[in-house]
Amino acid sequence: MIRPKLAIAGLTACSGCQLTLLNCEEELPEIVRGFELAYFPMAQSSNDPEAVFDVAIVEGAVSTKGDLATLFRLRNSSRLLVAFGTCALHGGVAAMNNRLNTREELIRGVYGEGTGSFESFPPSPFKNFVSVDFSITGCPPEKHDLIALLGALLAGTLPPTQCYPVCTECRSRENLCLLLEKNQLCLGPIIQGGCNARCPATGIVCEGCRGPVREANVAQELELLLERGFDKEEIKRRMSRFTPEWDYGQRH
Amino acid sequence: MGSVIEINPFTRVEGHGSAKLYLDGSHVERVELCLTESPRLFESLLIGRSYAEVPDIICRICSLCSTVHKVTALLAVEDAFGTKVSEVTGLTRELIAQGGLIQSHALHLYCLLLPDLFKVRGVAELALAAPELLKTGLAVKRVGNLIQETVGGRLIHPVNITLGGLGQRISRDKLLHMRDELEAILPACRDACRLFSAPPVFPQLPVPICLAVGPAAPPLSGEQFRMTDGRSFPVNAYRDSISESVLPYSNAKYAQVLGHEPTVGALSRLNLRSGLGQEASRIFDSVKEEIVGRDIRGNNVAQAVELYQAVENSLSLIDRLLEIGREGAGNVEVAPKSGRGTAACEAPRGVLIHSYAFDDAGICTEADVITPTSLNQGALSRDLLALARGMEGADAASMVDALERLIRCYDPCISCSVHLIHI
Repeated sequence: MIRPKLAIAGLTACSGCQLTLLNCEEELPEIVRGFELAYFPMAQSSNDPEAVFDVAIVEGAVSTKGDLATLFRLRNSSRLLVAFGTCALHGGVAAMNNRLNTREELIRGVYGEGTGSFESFPPSPFKNFVSVDFSITGCPPEKHDLIALLGALLAGTLPPTQCYPVCTECRSRENLCLLLEKNQLCLGPIIQGGCNARCPATGIVCEGCRGPVREANVAQELELLLERGFDKEEIKRRMSRFTPEWDYGQRH
Repeated sequence: MGSVIEINPFTRVEGHGSAKLYLDGSHVERVELCLTESPRLFESLLIGRSYAEVPDIICRICSLCSTVHKVTALLAVEDAFGTKVSEVTGLTRELIAQGGLIQSHALHLYCLLLPDLFKVRGVAELALAAPELLKTGLAVKRVGNLIQETVGGRLIHPVNITLGGLGQRISRDKLLHMRDELEAILPACRDACRLFSAPPVFPQLPVPICLAVGPAAPPLSGEQFRMTDGRSFPVNAYRDSISESVLPYSNAKYAQVLGHEPTVGALSRLNLRSGLGQEASRIFDSVKEEIVGRDIRGNNVAQAVELYQAVENSLSLIDRLLEIGREGAGNVEVAPKSGRGTAACEAPRGVLIHSYAFDDAGICTEADVITPTSLNQGALSRDLLALARGMEGADAASMVDALERLIRCYDPCISCSVHLIHI
């Protein structure tokens, strides 16, 4: 059997998506049998940077020239590029203030005045620079989404894409609706599902870590939250935690 | 003639780093440690955000230690507002932090370090060279994650631990299930101390000045810092004792504590703290000569001792939670007011400090995070230089191998380190 060659890498991120692979404790021995881990600096030494890959699974936002060089190299040397996690797909937490502050302001806040220039631009998703063949969302991503991708790759295909909001699974779990029944700022109606509504199931509002669901009724959610007395700036601040770019007038 | 040996990137560690050795002939002149992780500027991102958002955002600094970042942030915010949480909340936070430590130490020991012991490249080759041992390690790691997921609601970036309390209390069935799973990995954790007891064979390194949060385990947080030279200072006045500066070649700031380059983590904790359970003490005694008063090569076996200790601690926390049952106070209200709050915890890799200031409405006006890897940065540079000098004349490949092995003794977490403070 020819084992597909994988590259696993990270850009501007917390390594949580790569850790999600290592968190597949029960499946890991089978994964390394089915695939050749050709490039995986986080868990393997002596990686060949010149290698070519069948699939590159890459986490993180793009915020430095180094990130961009790595992204271009992996795009050019891989048949398929997978944007792994919310940062790769939407910018993620590091991008939350992209519309509010310049990079220089943020850098001065951390490193102080006159500390030299850091090479850094607003953290951006892969799609701003390269074509992406498949995405897994989530901060962190769900293990089952990664396993589904790896299984499909071994079968020579890609998994079906999902398109429904967090509320779908939340309702079928019969959770108390935090938005309507407890008047809390829950983003479930406009956020991509597939997490089995983990947070509302423990009584915590959806913080939007999986990014917008396609055809989200953003304007309606905004109206609903305003009606319930939430401040517009607070709503926008919360919505931008993982995704800085929203079309607040979008209706479907 | 001058030449440069480069290690780029570091492998089998979390995050992005590299090092350069500057040589004059065979003499090593200096070492540059570059923690090149792209900065995400968390402290700036928090300014202007509500206190309620701070713990949810800041835990994204790092995935390996997201749990302890979240717990430390909760404690710091509650410190600012004078919030006192219930016993159940406190115990549950300790339990999830123990789960985080089991996950993190098991990942480092069995997935990142064990390949060195078998002279293979990584986890994939390990699956061929030592399949049963890898499975054992993954089973230990899985139980750490089981605790994090059961208590926190998910594996990384937990949600169920909140300001003032818990989303949901952990049910009796779930506590019993975790207890069974923890008991099942005790033998493997005992074996880990034997497996990782031999230090790597390199020249002697400087003896570290250890820094840890006092006074005793298992509470992961504390009021005082202690050092092996006998000095101590209070957590809420950490700014008077810890100074940081920016290095031109690294995105992590360089920290000094009372004029010294401190060492934090498992080795420091076992040199400074008491409170080991009976069986953990016995295990510690059997490997003590590799840990007490030793250089950083003792850190990995110290992690193995802590793995056992964390399982024991988790079991007693679960027993206490079962005893309390549905009784006892639940969540408390969190009322924002202006002020500053600080908390220090022992993260898997060592001392972690969070400090925040808020205005009357609870909006964050200052944020300051000091991580274990930024505290260790000075000692790591010092040891890299000492080791490279001790190996002068050796070929570049074996020098690079040894230096990478030294870096893995420290188990750095570079995502964490590149997020520092206001000057």
